[in-house]
Amino acid sequence: MAWWRLQSHLPKVRLSDVSDTPASYARRALLRAAVFDTRDHELWAHRPAVAVTVATGVLAEVREHAIALDTSRGTELFTISPATKTWRGASTAPSALRSGDPVIIRHRTPDAITPACRIAERIWARIGRVTGTIIAADGREFLVDAHRRQGQRVVIAPTSWRQIQVRFPRLAPGYLLDVIGTRYGDHLLAVAPATAQPPYHADHTPRPPLVGGSVTMPLSGSAVWHEPDDEPPGLLGLGYPAIDPAEGVRPASRSIGCVRLPYLSFGSAVRIRNECADRAAVLPVTSDGALARQFCDRCVKCGTSPKGRLADLTMAAFVELGGNLEDGCFNATLTTMAS
Amino acid sequence: MNEVSVLTIAREVQIPLLAALLIGGCAAKAHRAIMTHRTSVRTGPTAMLPPRLRRPAALAVCATELALGVGLLVTAGGTGAGAPAFAVRIATGLLFCTAAGALHELRTRRPDAGCGCFGELSHTPVGRRAITRAALLCAAALSSIGLAPLRMPASAGQAWLTLGVIAAELAVLAALSPEVGQLMLQLGHTEPCELREVPVARTLSALHASAPWRRYRRFLVAAAPADIWREGCWRFVVFPGVLASRRVEVVFAVHLASRGPAVRVGMLDTGSCFADVGRGPDPLQLSKLV
Repeated sequence: MAWWRLQSHLPKVRLSDVSDTPASYARRALLRAAVFDTRDHELWAHRPAVAVTVATGVLAEVREHAIALDTSRGTELFTISPATKTWRGASTAPSALRSGDPVIIRHRTPDAITPACRIAERIWARIGRVTGTIIAADGREFLVDAHRRQGQRVVIAPTSWRQIQVRFPRLAPGYLLDVIGTRYGDHLLAVAPATAQPPYHADHTPRPPLVGGSVTMPLSGSAVWHEPDDEPPGLLGLGYPAIDPAEGVRPASRSIGCVRLPYLSFGSAVRIRNECADRAAVLPVTSDGALARQFCDRCVKCGTSPKGRLADLTMAAFVELGGNLEDGCFNATLTTMAS
Repeated sequence: MNEVSVLTIAREVQIPLLAALLIGGCAAKAHRAIMTHRTSVRTGPTAMLPPRLRRPAALAVCATELALGVGLLVTAGGTGAGAPAFAVRIATGLLFCTAAGALHELRTRRPDAGCGCFGELSHTPVGRRAITRAALLCAAALSSIGLAPLRMPASAGQAWLTLGVIAAELAVLAALSPEVGQLMLQLGHTEPCELREVPVARTLSALHASAPWRRYRRFLVAAAPADIWREGCWRFVVFPGVLASRRVEVVFAVHLASRGPAVRVGMLDTGSCFADVGRGPDPLQLSKLV
């Protein structure tokens, strides 16, 4: 199709360098503590933090009661129990998993005596997500400008077409799309909408209310997730929708979003709380959450959140905080460490 | 003054008022287009059109407003009296009548959309006030048809009466205009420092003009900062330095207030870090584990 050529003409985006961020985040926290005499730096480890309950890697072997995962730390075994929930395009049995599938697992250790015995609670295989502005449309196939990843190809599964069309009635260029599905080499097979489509054009985000005085913390809204792209697969961090313009990132649009967030730089620390799972953590800003600014939707996983996306978490961070990837979001509150 | 004269005065003041509203409306829309670098609109009746027609329609509306506003002024006096004045005033009435109908339709189809009448100020969802205002302006335009060419007031008394009528009409228009409240809000609003865009150059200028800079610059070994980052109302600027033969980092925290920013200083030994001997990666510190 002629519109595939669009991919080569789209401008490249300058991406943040995350290769040395853990040490620089800790350093900045120490420097800030030197000025303000805070204890924030104690929240940071000098070494990169790793997830406690999340493992990411490629499926090496599927056995009857266990799976073997090739991770950055070598091959790791996870026990499958009757309570293990598996997702591979849809909720399915662990037997549907295939060697070579990229997976992300939430696990638990039943007791401290045998810490090596880990039980997989949830397994997501080949899960992916595309969020962005539709560039071209041809039947069930779409080309989406996903800001960090331009020219993302999305194919809507025939069985999911009706469900997605109900939530995204304007599947036309210039409108926003946010779908979850199965990731294949060159495209995402969309199986579920991640949210309801905004009624406005991608460039016409509703104006946020005027904010007087100072920004009151914590801020409430929703947290979503994004695929790693060129980030390390197990990275714990978030895309923040209000990166200081002086950082020089290319905005997805001129919109300032519908929730006013304080400007931060890459590496700044924020506390994110999952209101549904009652879990919170301090995470670094590792990327620009420009796309999150364009959505003024609510998350309804536990009650109805206020409008606006506060953070675009990495997959590992989203799962570590108790979110389920197929849900797409969780109700969240955000507090900046500068407040 | 008899009643007929008051009515005549009331009809006469419509022409300059309508001209000011039309030209002001076009100017506000143009200002918004220039500031946001786009002419496509998401407010006003044009928001109901397909996206590809919105920009041409918005341009056409603005051009029409400007043409009619100028036309009203040009035909107010002796120039253009007769048929041209009649045509301009009929067209103005038609424009406001169409606007009233379009706003009513917009209120039904897009209840969250503003009227877009005055650009950035018109984001309040269309209500009965905006529709009533458009209908009254239509009536005002039609009432000016058949007037003799306008003249300056013949006496001081007539001048005061004219001013009084103008003030009364402006008060009625203000009562029917949500833009007035929005304008008052914007005039009295100051953006919190966390939300302001502040160029790095301005921060560095403030830093170089501050007392802490003059006091600590002698410890610095480089003119250019090694690191700069922002957290809300503060921007941190780090320089390498030497203190008592020890290598240090001097960090200046500059508050991003609009005037007289505060500057705070800290120093950190470059060897300062967390103990890192014989330990692996730390787990992410969660407030509550499931």
